[in-house]
Amino acid sequence: MNPFILSILLLSLGLGTTLTFASSHWLLAWMGLEISTLAIIPLMSQHHHPRAVEATTKYFITQAAAAALILFASTTNAWITGQWDINFDLHFFPASMLTMALALKMGLAPVHFWLPEVLQGLDLTTGLILSTWQKLAPFILMCQIMPVNSSLITFLGVTSTLVGGWGGLNQTQLRKILAYSSIAHLGWMILVMQFNQQLALLALIIYIPMTFSTFMIFKTNSSTTVNTLAASWAKTPALTAITPMILLSLGGLPPLSGFMPKWMILQELTKQDIPLTASIAALSALLSLYFYLRVSYAMTLTISPNNLNATTPWRLQTTASTLPLAISATISAMLLPLAPATLALLSL
Amino acid sequence: MHPTTLMYTSSLLLMFAVLLYPLLVTFTSLPLNNDWASSHAKTAVKSAFLISLAPLSLFLSTGMEAVTSSWTWMVTTTLDITLSFKFDHYSIIFIPIALYVTWSILEFATWYMHSDPLMNRFFKYLLTFLVAMLILVSANNLFQLFIGWEGVGIMSFLLIGWWHGRADANTAALQAVLYNRVGDIGLILGMAWLATNVNSWDIQQMFILSKDLDMTLPLLGLILAATGKSAQFGLHPWLPAAMEGPTPVSALLHSSTMVVAGIFLLIRMSPLMENNQTALTLCLCLGALTTMFTATCALTQNDIKKIVAFSTSSQLGLMMVTIGLNQPQLAFLHICTHAFFKAMLFLCSGSVIHSLNDEQDIRKMGGLHHLAPFTSSCLTVGSLALTGTPFLAGFFSKDAIIEALNTSHVNAWALTLTLIATSFTAIYSLRVIFFVTMDTPRFLPLSPINENNPAVINPLKRLAWGSIFGGLLVMLNINLFKTPVLTMPAELKLAALAVSILGLLTALELATLTSKQFKVTPLRTPHHFSTSLGFVPAIIHRQIPQLSLLLGQKIASQMVDQTWLEKTGPKAIANATTPLASATSNMQQGLIKTYLTLFLMTLVLVTLISAT
Repeated sequence: MNPFILSILLLSLGLGTTLTFASSHWLLAWMGLEISTLAIIPLMSQHHHPRAVEATTKYFITQAAAAALILFASTTNAWITGQWDINFDLHFFPASMLTMALALKMGLAPVHFWLPEVLQGLDLTTGLILSTWQKLAPFILMCQIMPVNSSLITFLGVTSTLVGGWGGLNQTQLRKILAYSSIAHLGWMILVMQFNQQLALLALIIYIPMTFSTFMIFKTNSSTTVNTLAASWAKTPALTAITPMILLSLGGLPPLSGFMPKWMILQELTKQDIPLTASIAALSALLSLYFYLRVSYAMTLTISPNNLNATTPWRLQTTASTLPLAISATISAMLLPLAPATLALLSL
Repeated sequence: MHPTTLMYTSSLLLMFAVLLYPLLVTFTSLPLNNDWASSHAKTAVKSAFLISLAPLSLFLSTGMEAVTSSWTWMVTTTLDITLSFKFDHYSIIFIPIALYVTWSILEFATWYMHSDPLMNRFFKYLLTFLVAMLILVSANNLFQLFIGWEGVGIMSFLLIGWWHGRADANTAALQAVLYNRVGDIGLILGMAWLATNVNSWDIQQMFILSKDLDMTLPLLGLILAATGKSAQFGLHPWLPAAMEGPTPVSALLHSSTMVVAGIFLLIRMSPLMENNQTALTLCLCLGALTTMFTATCALTQNDIKKIVAFSTSSQLGLMMVTIGLNQPQLAFLHICTHAFFKAMLFLCSGSVIHSLNDEQDIRKMGGLHHLAPFTSSCLTVGSLALTGTPFLAGFFSKDAIIEALNTSHVNAWALTLTLIATSFTAIYSLRVIFFVTMDTPRFLPLSPINENNPAVINPLKRLAWGSIFGGLLVMLNINLFKTPVLTMPAELKLAALAVSILGLLTALELATLTSKQFKVTPLRTPHHFSTSLGFVPAIIHRQIPQLSLLLGQKIASQMVDQTWLEKTGPKAIANATTPLASATSNMQQGLIKTYLTLFLMTLVLVTLISAT
């Protein structure tokens, strides 16, 4: 793509999210969301491949529907309460509409259906942007409209974790696996968001490096299915050794960093006296862990057969930058001992 | 020290030294010369026997008993264990008899095991057994007795499994060990009870301190020990199976010495049992049952050694009956006389077996009266002694026992069984003699019948002297502790003899039926009972393990594998999760309209619910 256009699109993407972060007026927040949606659309369809175009179209329609509902809800709130400020509590009617709209924007169950197909149609870099950057803006808005003791939020959360678990079990395409993983993680964040937004932010902050690392690893191996990933042991042995750490961190296995948010969230839920929800969430994490383990098994724990030429490739110096992956992989595997510091840093 | 005690202890010490010296010689790495067995082992036992005659004669002339306690072995706060030997009436008389019999058996074994390359090891085992038996017999505390007890058990295992290439021998050895182990539980129970309640394992202290205690539990333990070691009913199958060992082993262990260890224990502990009616009745009934049952089993056996084994078992039952009558000394008497003729019977069968080229089935013997006259004569003498022919060895003990049985207040059932067993003794003894020595030969023509070796003749001769005069000698020289009842009606006096003669005549009558068809179809059921040994091995050795193994298989496969792991456990989770997973991923149909409709419906639902 033309570098000027690419830079305009990326900068607009950044602008949109920053706008939503910085706004205290609902209209401005909506504008930010729209800008980021519009900016990412050309990025998604840049390859002009029918599948990519289909993904773009689906993304646009769902996000537009969600944005329209956000506009409608904030206008209704302005009608009822007479003010556009985000900081003031919403009336219950627009609150539920806004929650549903933001759920659709983020890809929470039961309105998650667009996410796997859209993510599958994108190349890995755009998919990365969709999974990480695009979650920030709706997340922050969700934080700011949280009521307490809402069963809708808990329902969204639990359903998301379960759907993320069960849906990912039947997948061999890596992007769909990551889509369901995103649904599950967002479910965890939503669960705790009404009790302790600091922990939800922690979950997001840990989730982003982990997903970043996985997308980068898949990009380095240029593999989109589990089977192609199985040949990576000959191409990038060091990366093959690190990947299980990242994947199991996604699964929330101690002593990796992914355990930190899950642990804190379960503790918070228990303190809030909803142990059943906590148990169901913990058990659903087991489902997700299984498919992460399956990917790492296929990649690292077995040496898959291959023809002789592929098992002894030339290992040349790479021109791609490895620093981002190195940093994010380290963060996603080894941050657990810094848990108190991380929590302290994230007090909103 | 008193000179008599000095004599007793020094002769015992000398005996042990003489017996242990050949054993210690084998621990050096020098190769043994070819006739080590005959020059060292047998000679050692002969010397030990001659040495043991000294305390015997001293005892017979002075009647003095002694207890020697030497070295304190273990000292705990409450219980001391010392090395202490008891030289009383029982051990002083038994030790020479045991050594005499062992001497004869060892001499016989030099002929019998001549072709065995490991003959020296065989003799070593026999010597070790003998030492353990002597420790058992001379022990004054239960700990030392237990050492001897376990020692004879282990040696029995090693000797029964001598031909360990034969699977039957291995199972027989295992049977011996396991059944003895069950009995050992009783012994340990008794020992533990005595240690905790009477605080001593010394025989003298136990007798004094337990006067006012209720001794039923330890006595039951000791009776269980005797049941295991002396093959009483319930723990009896190992004794016929022990015939897998070589004939000298059967002669020494399983007729004269080891199997009487259980009875000997009860004889030693008899002062504890005197006043306990439960224990006495248990002994009586158990003994009666054993003697009857094993005599029945002996009636239809075809293996010569098995017949003698069952006969041993029957006599052990008789000894148990005697203990149940509160007559331990008569039981001891029977032990002594029984050692002579039973060992001789086994040696005769060994001679016959070797002569007929290892043929043990009596249906394939016959006519040996002409071909091996000395062996058949000894067989006859032994059988007559066994049945209690007047004034042979067995008569003095057996008749005394049956007289005591008839004149005491015991239950009629035990009495009847014992008398019937006595008649059965005559029957199966006649069966042996009839099939082995009489009539025409039924074996192969080229059998190496040769009994002219002095290594065969001399032991048999010695034991024959013992079988004829042994009872008389013992009876003349001892004083009976309990006054026997000497006056009784003539029928009771002659009961034993009459019953034996009746049995003999019945057997002779039955023997004439071997060539005639008495009935069109024979009565099979009693025969089956007898041949299947009362179905005890079939049930206990096969049925019960089969049920246990089936249960184990059911638990492993059905309960654990199928139920816990498949239906309710991991596999069930997998079976439940798979449809859910496929449902969740199959919901993605790819139609945006569906997704947006779902969104709309959820929105409406949520809004409605939140509005209420």
